[in-house]
Amino acid sequence: MTDAPLLEVRNLTRRYKLPRQSLLRAPPVLTALENASFSLHAGETLGVVGESGSGKSTLARLIMAFERPDAGAVLFRGRDLHGLGGQELRSLRRDFQMVFQDPFGSLNPRRRVGWSIAEPLRANGETEDIPRRIAEALEQVGLHAADAGKYPHEFSGGQRQRIAIARAIVTRPALLVADEAVSALDVSVQAQILNLLMDLQDDLGLGMVFISHDLAVVGSICDRVLVLQHGQTLESGAAADVLRSPEHPYTKTLLTAAGVRP
Amino acid sequence: MIELSNLSIHFGTAVALRDANLVIERGDRLGVVGESGSGKTLLALCLMGMAPESARMTGQLRIDGQDMATASERDWQRLRSRRVAMVFQEPMAALNPLRRVGDTVMEPMVLHDGLTRSAARARALSLFEEVGIPDPDRRLRQFPHEMSGGQRQRVLIALALACNPMLLIADEPTTALDANVALRITDLLQRLARERQMALVFISHDLAAVARATEDIVVMYAGDMVEQGRTAEVLGTPAHPYTKGLLGARPDPGVAGRDAQGKRRRLPTIPGAVPPLQGLPQGCRFAGRCPVELPHCAAQRPAFVQSDAGRAAACHLLTEGRHD
Repeated sequence: MTDAPLLEVRNLTRRYKLPRQSLLRAPPVLTALENASFSLHAGETLGVVGESGSGKSTLARLIMAFERPDAGAVLFRGRDLHGLGGQELRSLRRDFQMVFQDPFGSLNPRRRVGWSIAEPLRANGETEDIPRRIAEALEQVGLHAADAGKYPHEFSGGQRQRIAIARAIVTRPALLVADEAVSALDVSVQAQILNLLMDLQDDLGLGMVFISHDLAVVGSICDRVLVLQHGQTLESGAAADVLRSPEHPYTKTLLTAAGVRP
Repeated sequence: MIELSNLSIHFGTAVALRDANLVIERGDRLGVVGESGSGKTLLALCLMGMAPESARMTGQLRIDGQDMATASERDWQRLRSRRVAMVFQEPMAALNPLRRVGDTVMEPMVLHDGLTRSAARARALSLFEEVGIPDPDRRLRQFPHEMSGGQRQRVLIALALACNPMLLIADEPTTALDANVALRITDLLQRLARERQMALVFISHDLAAVARATEDIVVMYAGDMVEQGRTAEVLGTPAHPYTKGLLGARPDPGVAGRDAQGKRRRLPTIPGAVPPLQGLPQGCRFAGRCPVELPHCAAQRPAFVQSDAGRAAACHLLTEGRHD
């Protein structure tokens, strides 16, 4: 761990205009995320916990610079992502990548998985060594180099999520944002993917923002936790502390929902 | 009330459900757990007489003393209208988006019970109250899209209760819902089963929800029932290696992510994946993934061993007295 954080999120706020209900009144505004702040070092994992409408996916999109905040800043290695020009941002993109929930939806069913894995490389205009890098990424996620020639439907759900992770790490990023990356998987497969993410983090020194509605999953992989509800940060702190003695009643509910014994 | 003996479902040469044995009595609350491909949804569809056309059923399925394994669609329709009802995972998909929810709930009462519209309306109102929908009068007139996911699931439960079933099957009823709402729906189903002395079959991959809602449990793997017993006992002291693996693979909220050396703790896993139906071993279907496998496991089928009252598991290690 170095002293300078890999990622710093400062007072991030995002509002969406809702459909106008009356011609005479201004359209209502939904505050999807308000004043979210945290910092993340290389090799560290921050868990973002919340349910639908909590603002966790908005946070992911802002970190990935898919959209702009209304206030606040996202600093990646000290540089404000939303203050960068298009060209600068594009060249930086290889350093932060994202894994989504539904691997079937995010892989093109008509393309061989090798093609999908190479997508971020092509987006960066990289042309060298592509087959070797695809093979390397596949092996890093526990698949075989030969799997590059197969189609997504030939794989199980867990394997498809491995492919999605291979695509995310093929550019050798420093930051990985995982949005409900294990939520669609069966318990035993989920454990395999969580272990894989931990292995990759140890090997590559990745910083990770791990977004999930499941507090138990978050507790198993994260160093620190941020609990969101309706865009507000309810509580944040070391994962062990938040799980052992949650301060907010809402966190307690999440914990009850995650436990075998109520 | 419901008795399955050696019930199997075949698709061609593949056996998707193998020799299921189960007894459900009035007021029982039974959890069915297992991962994708375990056959738990197929089991539910069998109890509803809704198994796919291409499926062939062998063995016995008795409901209320009547053998339903060979029953006609007409017999099933009669049964479905008054005796068994089902709640599905995705409440939006199960409700007609173009109809007011009140009309949807009243339809079976008019159709099957011959109630007048006003009588059906009165019953729908009391059902909405029973399932905890506030302001039922207004809600009856709403469309599904005007309601939250939790409210829609309550409407579906009201619909399932419309003809006073003796058995309610809930297939992943909380999977699409947020934790808060899921807890309340789980508690609602449990309360309804108790108050109405109705049997509840609660199918879920969510062990926490099953632990909360049910008294008895069946653990399924690749079409086999591998363990059954009281929910608290099975989840507390699992006997079958698959049940152990499943419970072990769940992240434990009480365990922090790093050990004393600062190294991340890995989760215990079940290696590999469920093989396709055609590639399953003849013997124990968990063979090949089992951490304590014996040489004859893949070829020989383990018997269901009764350990104490109502507690049973199908594993060779149990018969050979070597389980820990």
